[in-house]
Parts: sequence; C-alpha cells; structure tokens
Amino acid sequence: MSAATEVQRANWWGDARSGKLPANLLGFGRALRRAGVPVDAERLALAQQSLVLTGMAKEDVAAALEAVLVSREQDLAVFRELFAAYFRDPKLAQQLLGQLLPRSPEAARPRHGPRVQEALSAIRAAGQQGEARDETRLDAAMSASERRRLQHADFEQLSASEYRLVQQLVRDIRLPLPSYRSRRSELHVSGTRVHWPASLKAAARSGGELAQLRWLRRKQRPMPWLALVDVSGSMERYVRLLLAFLHQASSPRLHPGLRRHVYSMGTSLRELNSAFALADPDAMLARIDAEIDDFGGGTRLGECLAQLHRQAARHLVGRRTLVLLVSDGLDTGEPQLLERELQWLGRHSARMVWLNPLLRFDGYAPLARGAAMLHRHTHAMLAVHNLESLQQLAQHLARLLQAGDHHR
Amino acid sequence: MKKNEKSPVESIDALMAALREQGYFADRRLATAVFLALRLQRPLLLEGEPGVGKTALAQALSAVLARELIRLQCYDGMEQREALYEWNYAAQLLHLRAAELRSGTGVEALEQELYQARYLVRRPLLQALQAPAPGAVLLIDEVDRADEPFEAFLLEYLGEYQVSIPELGVIRAQLPPVTLLTSNRTRDLHDAVRRRCLYHWLDYPERERELAIVQAKVPEAGKALTEQIANFVARLRSRPFADAFERTPGIAESVEWAKALVALDALVIDPELVHETAGILFKQREDVAALTPERLQQLLAPQA
Repeated sequence: MSAATEVQRANWWGDARSGKLPANLLGFGRALRRAGVPVDAERLALAQQSLVLTGMAKEDVAAALEAVLVSREQDLAVFRELFAAYFRDPKLAQQLLGQLLPRSPEAARPRHGPRVQEALSAIRAAGQQGEARDETRLDAAMSASERRRLQHADFEQLSASEYRLVQQLVRDIRLPLPSYRSRRSELHVSGTRVHWPASLKAAARSGGELAQLRWLRRKQRPMPWLALVDVSGSMERYVRLLLAFLHQASSPRLHPGLRRHVYSMGTSLRELNSAFALADPDAMLARIDAEIDDFGGGTRLGECLAQLHRQAARHLVGRRTLVLLVSDGLDTGEPQLLERELQWLGRHSARMVWLNPLLRFDGYAPLARGAAMLHRHTHAMLAVHNLESLQQLAQHLARLLQAGDHHR
Repeated sequence: MKKNEKSPVESIDALMAALREQGYFADRRLATAVFLALRLQRPLLLEGEPGVGKTALAQALSAVLARELIRLQCYDGMEQREALYEWNYAAQLLHLRAAELRSGTGVEALEQELYQARYLVRRPLLQALQAPAPGAVLLIDEVDRADEPFEAFLLEYLGEYQVSIPELGVIRAQLPPVTLLTSNRTRDLHDAVRRRCLYHWLDYPERERELAIVQAKVPEAGKALTEQIANFVARLRSRPFADAFERTPGIAESVEWAKALVALDALVIDPELVHETAGILFKQREDVAALTPERLQQLLAPQA
C-alpha cells in the first residue's frame, strides 16, 4: 500500500500501528459475537479479503465490514454502534460489552442493557425453581371426583397448590392443529396428479408402455397461527396457564413445520416469540415475566393492533393464518381505531377466534364496547376458563374451519 | 478469479460511475457491497421495502457488466422443476411411441435416447450456469416467498454453482453467474443462506439522491418542480407523517408522479394537485384517505 494510505490508516485507527489489522479485526469480530451478531471465522477471513480490495478509507471499511459481517437488518444498528465505539475507542467498547454479562453462552443485544441482566438472573432463578416444582408430582391417590372437580374448576378459583397442579396438567392437553393443503407434493397412491418422471422411468423399463402410473398428492401442513394475548390485570391468572398450554400444545416436536407467533397486548404490543422458542415452559414464563413490564396494567386493544399492523403484518401473508385473540374485551383504548384494525385483521386472516375467559359466567353476553366489537368481527367466541374448555378447544377450532365464511 | 480487462469493476468509484451512466444512482455503501460481491464472487442479498430499487439494481448491473440478465421469480411451493430443469415429457412420450415401430432396440439404448440434452427444458437456474461468455447476472427475486425446501436447494446451488442431473451427469458453471437475491422480508430467511451471501439493507434514498434520480429519469420536469417533488416525498417518508400511511411511496412511485405532473403541465405543487394525483403515490384507499387537508398543509409548508 502506498505511503499516503498508510498514514491515512494510522490516523483513523487511532494508536493502532500498521500490521495490527488482523488482530483488530479479530477483536472486533469477537465483540460483535458477544453482542449477538453471528460472526464466525470464515466471515472474518472474508472480511480481511474484502478490506484488501476496498482500501482503508473509513467509510469503505465500514461498508465492507457491514456487507460481510452483518446478515440481518436487526443487527445493523448494533453493528454501527459497535463499529463507531470500537474503532474510535476500544475501551469504550469494552465498557459497553462489560454491561452485557458475557458469562452466559447465549449473548444478548446491547440495547437491552440493564434489563438483560435482570432477564438472565431471572432465568437462572427460574431454572432452580423449576427443579423444585417438578417434585410436585401428581398424587396417584387423588380420587376420581377430585380429578373431575379440577377439570371443571375455574382457574380464578384455584388455590395456590391447585394452581400449580393445573399448570402441570395443562401441558398434557393435546391440541390437534388444523392444517391446509400446501403447494408441495408427495408421492402417494391416492394422489390426483401424475408424477411424470417416475412414470416415465417405469415406462422405459417396460418397453415404452406406461404400465404403471405414479401419483402425487398435496402435502398437509399445519396452519400458521398468531396469538395475541391480553395481559391486563383482569386476565392475569388465565394468561399464564393459557400461554403454557399454547406453548406445549404447539411445540415443534409435535408439529414440525408449524409457524407460530405470539404477541402480548397491554398498553403496547410486545413480541414473545423469543420466549416461545425456549423449550421449557417454566423458562418461557420467566422470560415473559422479564420482558413484559405492563403485566397487570390496562389494555389498549386498538393501539396494540395498530402496532401489529405496522410492525408485524408480514406474519399474515397468504390469508392462511389463524388468529387467536385472548382477551376479556375490557378495553381502555379508542373504539374507532379498534374497529378499523379488527376489520383489517379479519381481511388478512383465515379465521379470527376470540378466546374469552369471561364465558365462565353463565349469563355472559358481550355488552361492553370492546367486547361487542370483538364479538362482531371474530368468527367465534370460545371459552378457556377451565381444563375442560381447553380440551374442547381443538374440536371447536376444527368445526370452525370446516364451516364456511358465513359468519358475517 | 479472472478479471475482465475492460471491466468497470476496478474500484468502487468506477462502479458508481458506471451504474450512474445506466441511470441507477447508488450510494457508496451499496456500491461497496456490490463491488465486494463481484470481486469476492459471492451472492448478494438485498433486503428492503418494496419499491426501493432492488430489481432495478440487477438490471443496471447487467447493463454495466454487459451480461445477460436471467430472472427467477420465486413463489410459495416453487419446485426444482420450475427453477432448475424439467424433462419434456410430451416429446419423450412421442419418442417412445416412435421407438415402438423400430424393433430390436434394447432397454438401455432406449433409456439413453430418451434422456438426451435436447429433451431437457432449461429453467433460469440452469440457464445461468450455461450462459455463454461473459456469463450472466442471475436475479432471484423475492426469495422470501419461496419456502424452506427451496431454500435448502438454493443453498446447495449457491455454494458450488453446479448441478447434477442424474441422467446427464454433473453440469458445472464455466463462468459463475453474478447472483443477486432480493427479499421483502415477509418471512425470515434461513441463517445458512444468509451466511453464504453478502448482505445489504436498501433504505429509501435521501433527498439529494432522490433529486438526482428524478432529474435523470424525468428530465422534462424543471429544476424547481423536481426540487419540490423531492422535498415533498422526503417529508412524506419522515417520521411524523410516515406513521399515518401503510405503505409510503418508493422511488418508482415518485418517478411516476413526476411524469404525471409534467403531463399535467404543473409548475407548482399545491394541495389540490396532490389530491388529484394521490393515486399515483399511494395504492391503498386508506392511505389516500389519510391525506387529509391538514396533513397536506403541513407537508407543503416551507421547511425551516
């Protein structure tokens, strides 16, 4: 490299002398990794090659490293912050990262800063609690009438130990999910479309006669679903059980290829997908506790749905999504906004189902403003207040999807 | 890694100038990413909102490199036979019928005759491998609309640029194509595909670049009108207003709007004119309705 570029490089690298480029790059790569950007050795080698090609102007280096090391849009902001910090003052970068508790193998993003510490400590504490809770085994001597009582007992009226017991039972409820015929095909004797390659191969073996035809039929795939869970104060007892139920009933072990997304609606919309990706339901609940800070506040359904519209509409592609709205309908937001957003949601989803814990009251009718609107725009209102209703959920869903679009 | 002598890909500036000549105004970050993709021979994944110029980049790049543009439009359920190759079954069946009249053809010979190269229907991915010199620019559009099995297949393809057709053998690319993948982020792509590619997030252009683009595409519009257009659209995309609209207009829409204003002989943008031509900027009824008179006044008010 020419002398001018050497000087240029030395200037903006700070006090890094020439020849320290690979080491600096390696350090930067490791800093990125700790901040949650997946960077491996191959990419770092590629980054070095690219720096040789682009030269050492700061802008070009930033662009080159961005193109090579970043692969998701969420990582862009993190990358730019860390790049600015690292290459201006490495000590600043160390401080930034020092707040991230690098002890755990799974890294976290800097923008969660101090909350990440709480989250990690909460997960660790919950892990210890979970071991203790596992010891509450189902008492084999529990009588049949006791069991029946628990089946029908409203979640709100359970005592603390019964609540824990029900939390275990809820995980065993199976939920056969509705499916749709996807655009992929598989070989099957009862198919309706001929699979020409296989048929012709068989034909060539039998002297040109199509003696046997091979058939294709379309594969069944579970319908993607989107759950919107109201986390206001009135829903608190139900929400935990329902989340545990949904989490276990739709786990990837049982339904491979299922796409599920969960959001919480409180004063604002929060994404719960990363919590749902954890395999252990206790860890999932602990993570949710840590991430949602408006648990037990009021709900603004309209504003949350508007936020969903803006940020996460891409989960509703294809009009195949089953939308589950878990709420009691007691809404403190703007009614016209709710109406508009419910209409939009209805247009973009296969079915919208309202899971309402207030159906535990026998004479319940959706009279509150928010409840009336939900009732008008959703395809069905289903009960979820005790174990039995959860078990019947699957049947109701299946029946709903077979029925046509004659609700409106 | 062979480099063409007359190639404009010698430096980032040369690439930017060449793209500008073709009418594509890239900022330096994008040009760096494209430059690296060309020199390191890696595919480039472009993500961004619709209407931001991803497909246009592929077209400009193919013109700059003087390579053929081969386009694969992805959709849900796309299979190998639509993306890679398919056998011409009808012709093969006819061949079988004709072969019946000849006696004494063994099964082996019949199979070989059946699977000749002339019965092979080449789809875009195979065409890209076999494109004549100087090669091809392969645009895999909206790869987020394809599903996971297709991504797995694509990963293999992008890794080696060779395919094995069981009846014909392995087909390798003599000149690896320049590959661009675009995605609208309706779905998150698998990490393995992302690792294989370089990445660039295309944002809406800033005011100056938009001005240059509109001036280049619609030279009949006067300088004053173009500036007003660029100001208006830039404000429309900025924070307080962007939330009111579901889909803010992209570059294609602002260029169309400029052409429409020229056709209407407009010299100054006033609220009535915007209201009349709102259908060019916004494609949804709610967005057009959100263009209320108060908002229009705020948008058109002179900036500090």
